[in-house]
Amino acid sequence: MPSYAKAFEVWNRKLHYYLGLYFLFFLWLFSATGLMLNHQQWFGDLYRRAETAYDTPIETPDGDTLAARTRDLMRQLGLQGEIDWPATQPVWHIDFNVSRPNGAAQVRVDLTAKQAYVREFRNRPLHAFQIFHTFSGSRFNQPASERDWMVTSVWVFAMDALALGLVVMVLGSYYMWWQLKKKRTLGAFALAAGLVTCGAFVAGIL
Amino acid sequence: MVYRWLRDLHLYFGLFVSPFVLLFAVSVFYLNHGKLRPGTPPPSEAFHNLQIPDGFDRLKGREAAALAQHILPQVGVSGEIGFLRYVARDRHLIFPVSIAGLESTVDVDVDGRSALVMRRHMNVWESLSYLHKMPGPHNVAIRGNWVGIQVWRWLADATIYLLLFISLSGIYLWWTIKAERRIGLTLAAGGIVTFFGLVYAVIR
Repeated sequence: MPSYAKAFEVWNRKLHYYLGLYFLFFLWLFSATGLMLNHQQWFGDLYRRAETAYDTPIETPDGDTLAARTRDLMRQLGLQGEIDWPATQPVWHIDFNVSRPNGAAQVRVDLTAKQAYVREFRNRPLHAFQIFHTFSGSRFNQPASERDWMVTSVWVFAMDALALGLVVMVLGSYYMWWQLKKKRTLGAFALAAGLVTCGAFVAGIL
Repeated sequence: MVYRWLRDLHLYFGLFVSPFVLLFAVSVFYLNHGKLRPGTPPPSEAFHNLQIPDGFDRLKGREAAALAQHILPQVGVSGEIGFLRYVARDRHLIFPVSIAGLESTVDVDVDGRSALVMRRHMNVWESLSYLHKMPGPHNVAIRGNWVGIQVWRWLADATIYLLLFISLSGIYLWWTIKAERRIGLTLAAGGIVTFFGLVYAVIR
């Protein structure tokens, strides 16, 4: 075997368990939350949350855009998270929602009265845990939705890294399996069973 | 003996589950970064003289979904019903039906015994994302009203359980390589610090 092939084999094997060890907790989180999302019947009062409502005076928000003014209001109110705006804003108001895994807030700001009306919701720990699975700040079927909190972007980067890591691990595992000549036949059956089953769904047969 | 069994199961379970892992991993990129732009509405196809079961005005949930499934073969559609909307005013029943690659919207005129069906084809990314999200947390009362999603739910669960087994057996297999313990522990510790650091940053 040429030296470069030997080096590839060694590093491919190392990469397989290095990636696996690094991403272990991420993988367990997405596995556990995946089970939760598919079995909501296991969790009776998952979505019950504590609510507090208050109103508070605010300064006229700084900024040239709605986003900038909203961020200034969030700073004044001590809120952090992904922002959602309603399709239309009432005159002399800024209304928005802020969300993150452990809670959310509905904010209605009367700019004339310089008053903010806030409803804050606190999610239960298990609900917050589940939200990490889907916390991307963007929905592919809602083109207008965008990430606007840097922390969400970092979390999405972690999701992407895990996905890429899994792809590299799977492709690397095919090479390692193929090098084991005695395991090729049974391995081919296992892989074919997975491919046919999964492929039937992707092709829309099932 | 234990080592050999675990190594073989790690390999064979891993090979079986690998297409599912690739599906769930690749679709993450579309779910995180893709945008589905609304196109022109697809043309609708009309169907007449249908046999419409009674009861949509009083049944809800799984019972209503089961009744609606009886209409689907008559309009050439199969798949999972996403939700059901019964409009009492004009006695219309409207519901989306999906399989990977195709989303159909069925609008049934209960009194006229006719239906309009709109079919929208999904691109490959959307199909993979659809499977990634199924069965999911929404409309739990009727989810799994089609055999395909019942089987897919089982396979999605199996993927998770097998991944958990593979990750635990992988830890054991790594631990047997003494020369790799130190760097492996360093990487695992780095992963744990990154993980909890990110979780803290999101919820603090």
